[in-house]
Amino acid sequence: MTAILRLESRKRVRGSVILVAVFAVLSTMYFSIFPEYEEDAEALLEAFPEYMFDFFGLEALDTIEGFIAAEIYSFFWVLLVGIYFAYISAGMIVKDIDRRRMDLTLSNPVSRESVILQKVASLWVPLVVLNVGVPVIVYVGSVLIDSTINPEALAMVHLLSVPYLLVCAGIGILCSVIIDRVRTAQAAAFGLVIILWLVDSASALDPDYEWIGAFTPSRYYDETAILVREEYAFADAGILLVAFVAFLAFSVVLFVRRDIH
Amino acid sequence: MAAISLENLTKRYGDVSANDGITLAVEEGEIFGYLGPNGAGKTTTIRQLLGLIKPTDGTATVLGADIRNRKALTEVKADLGYLPDDLGFDERLTGNQALDYFARMRGDEQREELLELFHPPLEKKIETYSAGNRRMLGIVQAFMHDPELVIMDEPTAGLDPLKQDRLHQFLAEETASGTTIFFSSHILSEVQRVCDRVGIIREGQLVALEDIEKLLDRSGKHVWLHLREDVIESEFVTEEMINVEITDNAIQFTYTGDYNSLLSHLTSYEIDDIEISNPQLDDIFKHYYSEEYTEDS
Repeated sequence: MTAILRLESRKRVRGSVILVAVFAVLSTMYFSIFPEYEEDAEALLEAFPEYMFDFFGLEALDTIEGFIAAEIYSFFWVLLVGIYFAYISAGMIVKDIDRRRMDLTLSNPVSRESVILQKVASLWVPLVVLNVGVPVIVYVGSVLIDSTINPEALAMVHLLSVPYLLVCAGIGILCSVIIDRVRTAQAAAFGLVIILWLVDSASALDPDYEWIGAFTPSRYYDETAILVREEYAFADAGILLVAFVAFLAFSVVLFVRRDIH
Repeated sequence: MAAISLENLTKRYGDVSANDGITLAVEEGEIFGYLGPNGAGKTTTIRQLLGLIKPTDGTATVLGADIRNRKALTEVKADLGYLPDDLGFDERLTGNQALDYFARMRGDEQREELLELFHPPLEKKIETYSAGNRRMLGIVQAFMHDPELVIMDEPTAGLDPLKQDRLHQFLAEETASGTTIFFSSHILSEVQRVCDRVGIIREGQLVALEDIEKLLDRSGKHVWLHLREDVIESEFVTEEMINVEITDNAIQFTYTGDYNSLLSHLTSYEIDDIEISNPQLDDIFKHYYSEEYTEDS
């Protein structure tokens, strides 16, 4: 019984390809300015206040790893791709109910557990497309400007982002199950990912409030540590995976019990 | 074994009972009409039968599966077809792709035969479909796996009269080969034409359950006349005429007797205009069941 997975997977292709194209454009832009920027990096960086770097968790901006971690991963990957996963997941259930597609789907010999799990499983498409397409673009870009990026660290920055993106999807699917209006569910998922990211970034500025960030997913994914210092936090990735499974399990239980109007 | 059996099926939303203790059974191989005005609770019953919403009280079985048993209900859906009133297809798929999608979940033994009778433009995306084409695609998906039971909610909505006739004929053929049809509609004449038995639901309650013939006998015909001269009530009205309303030379009534005697009765009058039609469902409720109901309770 993979009909739903097949159909949903096909729906994910377009968005995934568009996102890879966006990253191709961003990479081209950043790689084209890096050689010139590298020469003046020190003077340039001194012009910014320290908390700017703390907020975004940036360091070693004069190296290609630090620069790419800052420009591509700490903002666009964590926030843009995180929002994408939360947003499409937030539409998965509530939109089908709203458009009355769920009625027809559930008239088939397929359980509600299977429906929601197949829908979430369709996220393999953006996970694979983005995590193959974007590192290839970044690596090729770095080779072209003669500042070859460490391929192992690059692979890890993508691999370890998978649990983070799944947590974003978990937030989305939970919104999709508990909120009855499509727009509201999508806005809630969208907003939550942004707020959690802001809370993590802001709490990093003050040691007294740093503990608050422990409740945000982005705390467990440190792109700069991976790319610049080659520190791979597998335990943190494990925490994110557990959180994703918890979100998903809770969503399944709620979806199975609820009335579909 | 009954194909569908409802036992005191009840669904309440706060103080409102959308279904209030409905008990009935649909036998295998019959076309059962589920008749009632919009908002009477027909769709609520259907959604409970499909396991989309849970009953507040009572239960039902569908092809032997208790609707409260999710696993059993999911299994019997392999032999169930469903034509919803509001057809939610994936708009960006073509008709063919949508049918392939359903076929993967429950098979399509008789897709081709169905497409000879009902032929939506399968190569086109569903978002371009007219109401009639959507309905035809819905009919094909509901029957293509040769199900034992098909639940249809307002099945002819959007179909042109020719296609409606075709559907009615098709349903007769399907039931002849053993398929059971649960036919929900607010159109009396349609239910009359197609169904063997009818259950009438009003405000969540089952107010009648009987053979269609009996219902027809009881419901009679609605007659509207314009006579050349003013109607003299004592002279014109017979005891087979009920719900009589007279305004000068116009009269309307529901006729419950033999049609021939009505026609011979009318020949003694000069008639300017005449209309004989099926009574509106609301009239039947008003004039038959409400009285019976107040007497019972």
